[in-house]
Amino acid sequence: MPFALAGEVFMLGLGIASLLLALATCLLAIGVLWRRRRARRWVMALEITCLVGSLLLLLLPIGANRGPVALLTNLALPIAVLILLRKQREAFA
Amino acid sequence: MFNIAPDHAIGLYFGLLALPLALIAIRLHPARHRVPGTVLGASVLMAISGAIHLGLISTHKEEPITALLFLMNGVAYILLSLAFPWRWWRPASASLLAATLLGYLAYIAAGFDSPDQVAVATKVIELTALGLVLVPVRGDLDRRMWRWASLAVALPLLTLVTASTVWIVDLARPDPQHAHAGAVLQETNEVATAEQKAAAAQLYAETKAAILPYQDPRKAFADGYRPGGPSNMPSTHWMNQAYVDAGYVMDPHRPQGLVYANSKHGPVLLGAMFQMKHLGQFGPDPGGPLTAWHQHENICFTPFGFEFSLMTPFATCPLGAIDLSVAPMLHVWIVDNPKGGPFAVDIDDEVVKSIVRA
Repeated sequence: MPFALAGEVFMLGLGIASLLLALATCLLAIGVLWRRRRARRWVMALEITCLVGSLLLLLLPIGANRGPVALLTNLALPIAVLILLRKQREAFA
Repeated sequence: MFNIAPDHAIGLYFGLLALPLALIAIRLHPARHRVPGTVLGASVLMAISGAIHLGLISTHKEEPITALLFLMNGVAYILLSLAFPWRWWRPASASLLAATLLGYLAYIAAGFDSPDQVAVATKVIELTALGLVLVPVRGDLDRRMWRWASLAVALPLLTLVTASTVWIVDLARPDPQHAHAGAVLQETNEVATAEQKAAAAQLYAETKAAILPYQDPRKAFADGYRPGGPSNMPSTHWMNQAYVDAGYVMDPHRPQGLVYANSKHGPVLLGAMFQMKHLGQFGPDPGGPLTAWHQHENICFTPFGFEFSLMTPFATCPLGAIDLSVAPMLHVWIVDNPKGGPFAVDIDDEVVKSIVRA
């Protein structure tokens, strides 16, 4: 969002959209803790989307970051969430 | 921030080695069935973080205080990762994780260390572990309220503070190879020799003579150069895709790009841009430090408005933007650029503004 100050006005909109998505993700996480089936489905859809997008970026020759942090944030965490939620289907109401 | 410091690499190996060992230790722990999965997950992550800290001791022997802090931190993490049936495990773990995170931020803010990939990855692991430690569990009603509050407010706030501090420290104190945010300079000798100065002057003269006809933007357009990005910015790069694809290397008669200031009376030529074809492939450097190429790395690009920003320390871009890097480039500014000279990474904003106003 600071880049909006340097004239990158579209980045401001994208930054706000990212913050709203982060907020929605937090609410979905609370839904998962409350064992809501719909929250689980949404989280799985979100994580699969993130994973597919990240894999595409890693495979395409566009110089996307392949450092430990990027692998941890964009691959390891979504995979861990998917594995944890996949095993607990019967625990959700 | 996006490199691995040589003295931190060993921490990464220790962390990777600790993962299978921690999983085996948890599996063999007699109390593993009495606690929720979130506790086991946090234990594994704390064991990894502890191993990273212990691994860093060997490369920090000459900094006794830092080495001692790594030792204390590492041992505390390993002990807590095994002590999850303990009654006070959650407060102790949450306190240690929060203190380690805040301690690291104070450490880099004071200039004792620079953030790198190993450090930031460890902070991601610790933030995740803290989240798992704070998750309220069933049958623990008296403490659930403060845990919800910590999870919903304190953890996102701590994540935000961690990312902001690392980012600000990295931008405020870039290493010598980073000319400005997101640009990595080619490694060269420190002071230009007489031969290098002469070679740089020759390159400048040849390039300037070759691109002067492009002061008429219609000639540039006819030769295949096309403006990229928004025209409401002070300057625009015009790229010649045929020259990019052909891979001409620093040919003054075929520069891959031209840079124009967007004045009220039309485009004003500022200079040329040579670009290599592949990432990490820096071009010939006849002028040594005077003509060092630069590569833009970890940029977030969005097709909406054709805009750029920088990737966050946690390796994320805004929604609708993708992370990319651009092959090495070298600018030749034919207008006076008092702050950086004729081959600077950037042209002085004031120079562009004065041309735009003129």
